[in-house]
Amino acid sequence: MRVLVTGSGAICGAGASPAAIVDAAIAGRSAIAEVASFDASGWPRRLAAEVTDYNAAKLVGDRKLLKLIRRSDVFGIYACGEALAQAGYDAHRQSLDEAAQADFAEQTGCYVGSGGGAFNVNYDYFPLMAEARGDMGAFGRELASTVNPMWLLRTLPNNVLCHVGIRHGLKGPNGCITNHTTSGMLAAIEGAEAIRDGEADRVVSAGHDAPIEPQTMLYYHRCGLLAASALRPFDARRDGSLLGEGAAALVLESEASAAARGAQPVGEYLGGGVACEGEGLLNLREDGDGAARAIEAALADAGLRAGDVGLIVAHGNGTPLSDRSEGAALRRVFGASMPPVTAFKWATGHPLAASGILDVTLGLEAARRRLAPGIATLESPDPACAGVSVARETRAVASDVVLVVCRGFGGTNAAVLLRALA
Amino acid sequence: MNDKRRVAITGVGVVTPAGNDVESMWARLNSARSCGAPITTFDASGFSTRIAAEVRGADALPLTGDRKLLKFGNRSHRFALVAAEQAMADAGVAPTARDRHRWGCVVGTGMMTVSFDELASVQANAAPEGELDAAKVLDEATSNDPMAFCRSQSTAGVSLLTKRFGIAGYASSVHTACASGGQAIGTALRAIRRGAVDRALAGGFDSMVSPVGLAGFCLLSAVSADNDAPERASRPFDATRNGFLLGEGAGFVVLEEWGAAVARGARIYAELAGDGNSLSSYRITDSHPSGDGPIQAMQRALRDAGAAPSDVDYLNAHGTSTPMNDRSEAAAAAVVFGADVGNVAVSSTKSVMGHLIAAAGAVEAVVCALAIQRSSLPPNANLRDVDPDCAHLDIVRDAPRERRVRVALSNSLGFGGSNSCLAFRHPDDTRALVEAGR
Repeated sequence: MRVLVTGSGAICGAGASPAAIVDAAIAGRSAIAEVASFDASGWPRRLAAEVTDYNAAKLVGDRKLLKLIRRSDVFGIYACGEALAQAGYDAHRQSLDEAAQADFAEQTGCYVGSGGGAFNVNYDYFPLMAEARGDMGAFGRELASTVNPMWLLRTLPNNVLCHVGIRHGLKGPNGCITNHTTSGMLAAIEGAEAIRDGEADRVVSAGHDAPIEPQTMLYYHRCGLLAASALRPFDARRDGSLLGEGAAALVLESEASAAARGAQPVGEYLGGGVACEGEGLLNLREDGDGAARAIEAALADAGLRAGDVGLIVAHGNGTPLSDRSEGAALRRVFGASMPPVTAFKWATGHPLAASGILDVTLGLEAARRRLAPGIATLESPDPACAGVSVARETRAVASDVVLVVCRGFGGTNAAVLLRALA
Repeated sequence: MNDKRRVAITGVGVVTPAGNDVESMWARLNSARSCGAPITTFDASGFSTRIAAEVRGADALPLTGDRKLLKFGNRSHRFALVAAEQAMADAGVAPTARDRHRWGCVVGTGMMTVSFDELASVQANAAPEGELDAAKVLDEATSNDPMAFCRSQSTAGVSLLTKRFGIAGYASSVHTACASGGQAIGTALRAIRRGAVDRALAGGFDSMVSPVGLAGFCLLSAVSADNDAPERASRPFDATRNGFLLGEGAGFVVLEEWGAAVARGARIYAELAGDGNSLSSYRITDSHPSGDGPIQAMQRALRDAGAAPSDVDYLNAHGTSTPMNDRSEAAAAAVVFGADVGNVAVSSTKSVMGHLIAAAGAVEAVVCALAIQRSSLPPNANLRDVDPDCAHLDIVRDAPRERRVRVALSNSLGFGGSNSCLAFRHPDDTRALVEAGR
C-alpha cells in the first residue's frame, strides 16, 4: 500500500515552516547564537538555536490552552496544526455529515515523539521546597497552596498527542514515543505502519522538544557533547553539537484516502528502518553498525537499492564520534557512489526528540527542489569521513528519493526514505 | 486465512507491590489482600494521601549481570532489570551474536526522570529562595554529575536492557501515561508481525511513589485519601470508590514469532493475539461516561485478534477505582460485549497491587498470560457494594475463579486519552487455528 505525505509543518530557530528553514539553510543562515532565555554569560558553552520570536498565544491560537501545556508542547501543537492545514484536514472533516465525521475521526491516528521530561518541569516545586527547607511534613502540608494543581497535566510527555487529538478530533491508533533523538522519526515510522496495517487511513506524525535550559546545557557540556563556536558536521575541526528546539509534523495518508478527498500529495513515504547497538546510553560503535543496519532495513522495506537514493540528509550532529561513525555507515551502504549528503543541524541546532522528523520535513522540501543545501559551516571535510559527499555549496540532486538518518542516545538509529512529489 | 505472523508469549517477569516474582505476585493476587499501606520510602505525613502500594525489599532485589549498570539507573530501572531478567530466564532464550539484530526491545517508561534527592540538591544549591539562578547551576554538584544526567534520560531504561541482554534490533521507549505498558507490548507485537524483528523483550516500569510523583496526583485528587484504611483504599467498581492507590514496579514479557517459539519447543503461555489502540479526544484525565474511546480500543483488539466478543472469557480491567474510570470502562464493556457481557468475567488486579502507572499494562499482560496458562482468574478485592453503573459486569469477587480462558483482554486507559487493549488467546486454541491453516 502506498503511503503519501499530504501535509508538513515545522518550526525551529531557523524558521516557522519547512520552506522557510530550507531557504535559510540555502542562504547560509544559522539560528545558532548566544542563549537569550537565561543568563549564560559565565558559561563554558553559550550557544544554542532558540526560537527567538516565541509567542505561544500566536502559535497555538488559544490562550486557555496555554495553562495546560509547556513550551515544547506549543511547538508540537503548532507543527501539527500547520501540517493538518496543508493537508486540508479540518476543512474536509467539517464538510462531512455527523456519521461520516465519526468514522473519519476513528480512521485518523496520531503518533508523537516527545522529549519526555525536561529538568525545568520540576522547578515548579522549588518555591515549595525553599519554604519547607527539607521538612517533608511541611512540603506535604503546603503543597496544595503553593503548586499549580494542574502541574502533572502540564507535565505529561504525551500532551501534544492529547491536545492535537482534542483540537482536531483524532480518535484512531496513537502513540507517544519518548526515545530521545529518534522519537520523532519513530513517530513517522509507526504512523506509516498503522496505515499499512489498515488501522488508520491517515495519521499525523510529529516530534517536538525544547531542551535549551540550564541543566540540560550543562550536562551536555559535561558529557563533552557541545561545540565551542559552531556546529560543523563532518568537518575536520568539529568539536560538538549544539542544542536547538522546535517541532515538525507530517500528515501521512493512504493513497485511497488522499484520492477520495482530493488531497494533493507532496511526497510518498517509501520505508523505514530501526536498529540499536545495545552498548549503553552514551556509547557508539566506531563502525556505525546501527546506523548502517537502520539504512539497510529502510532500503529493504522500501524495495529500493542504494543507487536509487538521490539525496541523503545525515544526522550530522557535529560530535567527533557520531559523524565519524555515521560516515562509516554511509560508506558501508553506498560505497564509492554516494549521492550528495547534507545535514541541517548547523542551521537548526539539535532539537533532540524533534530532530529526526524535522530533518524529514526539510529533506522532503529540499528533494522537491531537487537541491542538496550546502553546509555553510563546513570548512575542510574530515579525512576520517572520506567518501561522505558533503559540500559547502548547494548542489543539484539527480533523483527525487531522499534518505534521512537519525541517531540517539542508547545507540538507537532510525532511517526513512521518501519520494518528493512536485 | 490469517496473513499476520502470530506471536507467542514465552517468558514473564514482574516486580510488584504484590511480590517480586511471578509466583509471589500470583499468590498475593489470589489472596485478595490489598497491598495498600502507609508510605515508608519517604515522609508523607503532610500529604493529603499518605498511603501507597510499595515494592518491598527493592534494595535486596537479585540483580545479575554487571552491577555497574545500576549507576545508570534509578529505582524504576532497577525494577525493570529484575523483571526483565526473570522474563528472559523464564523464556530460556537469549540473543546470540548471530541473531541479536533480530531481537527488539520496547518499554513503557515513567515520567519521573529526576529523583527527589537530585532535585533537592539542585534546589538547595541553585534555587535557595525558590527561583533558579542559572549561574549557580554551574557549581551545583548534581548538575555536574554525568551519571545523574544519564539516569534522567528517556532512553535510560531501554539502554540498560539492550546492553544487559545484547539486543540490537528495534528499540524504543513509549509514554502514554497509564497506557504506556500496554502500548509498549502492542508496539513490539507489530514490530514482530511486520518482520522488523523475530523476538522482543517488552514491558514497562515506573515508580511515582516519591514526593513529586505523589504530589502530582494529590493535586488532582486522583488518589484515594483513605489513610486510615489503606488496605481498603483500592476498590474498583465499588459504589464508594474515591480514587486510585499508587503503586510501582515493572512487568516484562518475552515475545516470539509463533513458528520460532514452536520450533524450539518453548513453553507458550498464550498467543499475544491482538492490539487495539484508540484516542479518546475528550478530556485529559477521563474518557467519556459512555465509554467512547475504550470501546474502540477493545473492538480494535478483538478485530486484530480475529476474535468475536463472545470468545472472551476474561477482562483484566483498567479498573483504577476512580469514580469516572470505572464507570466509563463498565459502559464500554456493555457496548463491546452486548448481550454477552454477563458471560465475561472481570477483575481489576489494581484492587490488590495498586496502580503501577506506566508499568500497569505490562504487569497486567503478565496476569492475563498466567490466567490463560492456569485457567484461573484472579479476584477483584474490596468489592462490597457494587456501583449500580457497574452491576452488569460479572466481577470475580474475593477468591480466584477456575475457568478455562479462550480469549482474555487487558485494558489500559491513560491520562491524555490514549487507550490500549491487548488480546490474548489460549495457546491450544492457537495451535488448532494454525493446524487448520488459519
